[in-house]
Amino acid sequence: MTTIDKQRVTFIPGQESLSFAGVLRSEFIKLTSLRSTVGLVLAIIVFGLGVSVLLAMTMKDAGLPTGPSVGFTLDQITIGTVLFGQLIAGILGVLVISGEYSSGTIHSTLIAVPSRVTVLAAKTMVLFCTATSAALVALFGSWAVTHPMFAALEIEIGLTAPGVFFALIGGSVYVGLSAVLGLGIGTLLRSVAASVATVLSVILLLPVVLSVLPASTLVRNLHLLSMSKAGDAMSNALDADGVFLDLVDGYVSPAAGLTVAVVWAGVFIVLGAIRLRRRDA
Amino acid sequence: MIEARTLTKRYGQRTAVDGIDFQVLPGRVTGFLGPNGAGKSTTMQMIVGLDRPTAGSVEVNGRPYHEHRAPLREVGVLLDAKAAHSGRSAYKHLLSIAATHGIGAARVREVVGLAGLDSVAGRRVGGFSLGMGQRLGIATALLGDPATIILDEPVNGLDPEGVRWVRTLMRSLAAEGRTVLLSSHLMSEMAQTADRLIVIGRGRILAEGAIGDIISGATRSVTRVRTHDAERLVKTIAGPGVVVSMLTDGAIEISGMTAEEVAVAASTAGVVLHEVASVSGSLEEAYIALTAGEVEYRSSNPAATGAHQ
Repeated sequence: MTTIDKQRVTFIPGQESLSFAGVLRSEFIKLTSLRSTVGLVLAIIVFGLGVSVLLAMTMKDAGLPTGPSVGFTLDQITIGTVLFGQLIAGILGVLVISGEYSSGTIHSTLIAVPSRVTVLAAKTMVLFCTATSAALVALFGSWAVTHPMFAALEIEIGLTAPGVFFALIGGSVYVGLSAVLGLGIGTLLRSVAASVATVLSVILLLPVVLSVLPASTLVRNLHLLSMSKAGDAMSNALDADGVFLDLVDGYVSPAAGLTVAVVWAGVFIVLGAIRLRRRDA
Repeated sequence: MIEARTLTKRYGQRTAVDGIDFQVLPGRVTGFLGPNGAGKSTTMQMIVGLDRPTAGSVEVNGRPYHEHRAPLREVGVLLDAKAAHSGRSAYKHLLSIAATHGIGAARVREVVGLAGLDSVAGRRVGGFSLGMGQRLGIATALLGDPATIILDEPVNGLDPEGVRWVRTLMRSLAAEGRTVLLSSHLMSEMAQTADRLIVIGRGRILAEGAIGDIISGATRSVTRVRTHDAERLVKTIAGPGVVVSMLTDGAIEISGMTAEEVAVAASTAGVVLHEVASVSGSLEEAYIALTAGEVEYRSSNPAATGAHQ
């Protein structure tokens, strides 16, 4: 530690001031400068591609459809990204905010950006875009990588087949919304452990609990309106008859799934924002 | 310029900051001195909006902190060392903070150099010593070239060279006309760095003013002399307001007269003095006298019993 003698503050006052674009850039730098968060983003891609390849390699033994099937193909190539991606993205969302509380970075952040809602909005946007992009790579990558394997069995489905393109987009957006859900829960609870446990409960445990409860109408409806059911719906092709939501038949359209997932993520982000604004940092 | 008006913070039943008013003026280093738990950090957190006052208000450079369009250019803050993620490099940490205000990489490298972190900027903060963490915190505070600088316990964990660095830096920033507020519980540090002091205890301001005034207000200065002819000296100088006490080691302490007055009086009377000294109180004595009733965590051995006016 030297350089003691040449201290001068040479910065010439300029036009730099706080801007939302600057806050977005700041949040992006933070997200991409930690091994943990970068690792989780990559994990969405690795798990998504890996599971798809694994399933495609073994699909012959698992039972094939008689001809090309949109439903079958989508199940094969989206399950890895949606199932694992929702959990990884949820944990990523938690870390983006809880890591700031556990390390004390939140003080530096809020001193630079006193408007707390601005901070949360920037985090939400950066996180959503990053997680969605990772899932897009995983899903379209899964389609591309497994396409020759499907073709070898003469059951390949093109991106232009009805519903395929939008199911892959839908699945990606769902992973992005799962990350936002995690961010909302992390902002609300602050602690990493409590937040991760809550994210896992909402995404994984809630459907399991609902499925073992006596099958009343209420339980059935709740099940259909759960976060992970929304993920299923968003990564599937639209039914031909175009119903939005049919609780009696147990059908959730991609659009209804999107609505449900936005509400889940939105509720927690709003609760988190309220806590962030009201409480001392 | 920082201005607090009846600033108050309560946590449930406990009052951390009890309706304090103070001003921190530009062009000098103001020390915020007080025992642990006196309310120094809480006050600093309220200045930059991390904690919300229960009552009262505090403004920086004329408006509440959150109303500034470029807060980092108004106020630079070090609140706790290592307010950075342990997994992130010091450089990326600074870059992420700078980005919010569109401050570029060139300025980031500049403050890294200023804080003496060149060789470690690429390393992750988790491996930093407390002293390096403090340097990173000070680098963060300087990013926006702010008009006001607020540092909470900046010399904690610094080696002697680092302490000297902080001291010179604070003095030169104040000399440039900036407002510098510095908290510490280390009296010696304050005595060497600060021009003015705000002494706080249990959330209340105990004294505020120039360091010299605070010392003379809270301690007494005496003239200490030695002579073989004590009896005649005492007769000579006796008068209203003059208190003489004989110390066990043979010295005589006189209050109410300056050393010069004592020497002149002795000379006139033909008394030979072989030691004349002005003894003034230290900041430490002043501090102990001021905070005698206000220390929240006191050790059980008999504490100093300074009078508190």
